[in-house]
Amino acid sequence: MTMAPREADRIPSAQQTLDILYDISQLLGTQLDKETLATCIGMIESGVNPEALAAVIQELRREGAAIAAAKTNAVEGSRLGRAA
Amino acid sequence: MSASSTTYSLESLIHSIVPQSRSDHVLFNDLLAHSNEVLSSHIGQSRERDIGHLADLVKRRLSQNRPDGVSSVQFTNLLSRLLEQPVLSRKYDSVLFLHTLASSTRTPLLVPPFLPSLAPSPPITSKHTPAVSPIDAIPPPRSKTGRSRAELLREIRARSGCPHIAEIALLRDALYLLQGISGKHVRFATGRDRGSETSLLFSEDHGYISTPTKQLIHKLSEVGHLYIRVDRFIREREARSGIGMIEQSLCHHLQSQLTEYYRLIAVLESQLNIASNSQDQDTQSSTGGIPPEPDIRAEESGLTLRRLDVWVNEWKLRMRMMSVCVEAAKDTHGGALVNIIHSYTENGDPFVRNFTDQLLEEVSKPFFETLQKWLFSGELYDPYLEFFVTVDPELAHLQYVYPTTLAAGAGIMTGDGFGGFHVDQDDLTSERESGLRLWQGKYKFRQEMLPAFVGEGFGSKIFSTGKSLNFIRYSCHDTDWIATREKMSNTHGTLQYSDIFGLERSIDAAYRIASQRLFDIFFDKFRLLDHLRALKNYLLLGHGDFADQLMETIGPSLSKPANSLYRHNLTATLETAIRSSNAQRDPPDVLRRLDARMLEYSQGEIGWDVFTLEYKVDAPLDTVLDPDSMVKYLKLFNHLWKMKRIESTMTKGWARTAGSTKAFVRIPELEPEWHKIRLITAEMIHFIRQMAAFCQLEVIECSWKALVDFISKKEGDLDALIGAHRAYLDRMVKKILLIGPKVGKEESLLNQVREAFSLILGFNDATEHFYNLCMSESSRRDSELDQERGIYTATTKHPSLQRSDALLNGLRQCKEYGTSFSEKVQVILHALQAHVDLDCRFLGIRISFSDFYRAKKDSQVPSKP
Repeated sequence: MTMAPREADRIPSAQQTLDILYDISQLLGTQLDKETLATCIGMIESGVNPEALAAVIQELRREGAAIAAAKTNAVEGSRLGRAA
Repeated sequence: MSASSTTYSLESLIHSIVPQSRSDHVLFNDLLAHSNEVLSSHIGQSRERDIGHLADLVKRRLSQNRPDGVSSVQFTNLLSRLLEQPVLSRKYDSVLFLHTLASSTRTPLLVPPFLPSLAPSPPITSKHTPAVSPIDAIPPPRSKTGRSRAELLREIRARSGCPHIAEIALLRDALYLLQGISGKHVRFATGRDRGSETSLLFSEDHGYISTPTKQLIHKLSEVGHLYIRVDRFIREREARSGIGMIEQSLCHHLQSQLTEYYRLIAVLESQLNIASNSQDQDTQSSTGGIPPEPDIRAEESGLTLRRLDVWVNEWKLRMRMMSVCVEAAKDTHGGALVNIIHSYTENGDPFVRNFTDQLLEEVSKPFFETLQKWLFSGELYDPYLEFFVTVDPELAHLQYVYPTTLAAGAGIMTGDGFGGFHVDQDDLTSERESGLRLWQGKYKFRQEMLPAFVGEGFGSKIFSTGKSLNFIRYSCHDTDWIATREKMSNTHGTLQYSDIFGLERSIDAAYRIASQRLFDIFFDKFRLLDHLRALKNYLLLGHGDFADQLMETIGPSLSKPANSLYRHNLTATLETAIRSSNAQRDPPDVLRRLDARMLEYSQGEIGWDVFTLEYKVDAPLDTVLDPDSMVKYLKLFNHLWKMKRIESTMTKGWARTAGSTKAFVRIPELEPEWHKIRLITAEMIHFIRQMAAFCQLEVIECSWKALVDFISKKEGDLDALIGAHRAYLDRMVKKILLIGPKVGKEESLLNQVREAFSLILGFNDATEHFYNLCMSESSRRDSELDQERGIYTATTKHPSLQRSDALLNGLRQCKEYGTSFSEKVQVILHALQAHVDLDCRFLGIRISFSDFYRAKKDSQVPSKP
């Protein structure tokens, strides 16, 4: 790393940077919370391919939604079964 | 960069997005494996790493979602703030991540990248591109196994000591080429003479340049070549003196364009520096024999030969336009130059159109300044002869002044009384001649210098307006009015190219006002109408009482030889005629100008031949009543005066033949002869009356009415007025003098008429002689009768044979005149019937109203076998 010689300067400026990124994120409607965003930025900074990462997040969301849907389906299915 | 931290982050990501995975270990492992798989793939690796492009994509997306544009402005702000932050090293990647995530509802954009925009926006790129620090960039994974043939070839070349010249070096050269400077590897081939750098020389001592690259550089160097031309033109013009203002402003505009161009080159160069830095580091780091791969580096820094080509593409067009202008400026100048530039504005290509519009706006400024001066104050300020109006250098110094002041001035100037007198005379005569010449010749209209956007109609209006104003100011001495006008017009704002409609309006208004004013000046201040009327009344004998009076008083003295006439006698007679007629009520200014004089006479001419009335006009009236016109007036007067003379002679002759003969002559055997003479006299009177009536009623009054109609309309400018007067005069000359269409024989009919006139005069003399003979015969017979009655009265002792011979002779003479007159009239009638002018043909019909002459001719034909 070549930049930021003083650690003291970095913290508030990192916070600021994150805020800006979060604003952009909101503007674009990515539906990321601040924490996740920070994690992602951290990963990108360490060299992860950003587009691949975006694909991963998309994938995970879809997966999560599918699981949640399966659960509710199961619940409703059991209800239906009971009713029947 | 550690793999463990990445893994940890990924785990926490999975936990936060799919909360179920916290409990379900199988699911978690599944997801983790899948995510890792995705991450190690190379989605979007080929993408252009340009933040400007990315920003554009984002903005396009934002404006699609919310077309109000607020969000994209917001985004721009945020982005610029982000770029200022020192913390992140991969801002591009972060933004790309957010963008991809946001747009991942659709398929990720894998369209081949196109450049942000063709218009270079130097400040943004210069700020953004360095932000992407190339040091931390990940070298994209390349397949090490299968090397392409190109790579193999490259290796072979490198080994044989003839490697490719690094693109970065060529880029540097290309940048030099863009500035018209030869580079290390690529040089302009200098021709025999300066200005013919038409080809490029590639020096391949240090390495090999591939053919496509060469072609690319060729393309780039065109801009450099054009730049050299434009730049040289500007230098040359700066160095030279006496360059027109339009050219100067063209140079200025080109210079400012070139400054823009320099700015672009500076930006490109800064990018090149970054690229070369990375190149250096790259070469340092790569210790092996593998040649550096500059294209990736350069791609990151945003500069390759191909990109350079796109960057300068727009400038290529611009340079081409500029060089066209430069070429045009070499052999044209002033308005013609503006014209050439204007010819490019009608172009379907909006770029060319805009560029030329802009250029024209700049270039035409001096033209419009000149135009404004000319249009509103009638001053031609054109030191470099660029305007479409030029001043005749011979007439430029002639400011029209009243002859009196001029004479005084000239006298003072020479200082020498005797010499001064001569100068006065010369100046006066030259001044006299130049009244119309000054108006028509002082300013010239140069068609080729007229800018096309003004249009020919407006061009001539502008020309006429300025001329009128100039004339009002210098020839009519009405400077105050011009000054007021100028002040008023200045409030309308300046004229410029972009406001052609406003320009046309101003031109129309100025033209109308100036012409109106000039009319007013001529008719109110200089009373042109009075003078025209006076010319009609005196020179064209419109005042019958005056003409009769003059004829009566001056007639006897005009019968004398011309050399026995004196001018003071003539003027005194003229004075008498004026006083005894209604003419005395005319304004003194008019009467003052009326003069009687004699034309140049030769031996044997009598007063009738040389007498003429004259009407003197001075400046600025002689613009309309120019010397040529006055000559025509004199010619008309001469003819009309002759007619008048015949008329009055015939009146007296009729009194004699009709009245006196009946009263005093008692010779019964001659009574039928006298009757015949009366018939001939009546025929002559009819002829002359018809002629006179035709001239006065059909020609003069009709022409006059047309002129008065024109004047009362008050339309057009001074040229139109001059034209109208000239038409009026020409019409009269043509009809009164019965000018025929045949070249060289225009006056043949007039000569016939003149001969008829002299026949009438001869007949009149003959009848007078015959009358006298009859009178003496009658008195002889009276005295004979007296003697018969025994009264003695004095008798003349003539032999009776001689007496009757004299009588018969006199009678024969009368009859001879009568028949030759009748024949002459028939000749005239014949010519009149075939005359081109309809009015003249009607004159023929009038003269032979009841087919009198045809009947006569018919009766003559059988009588002469």
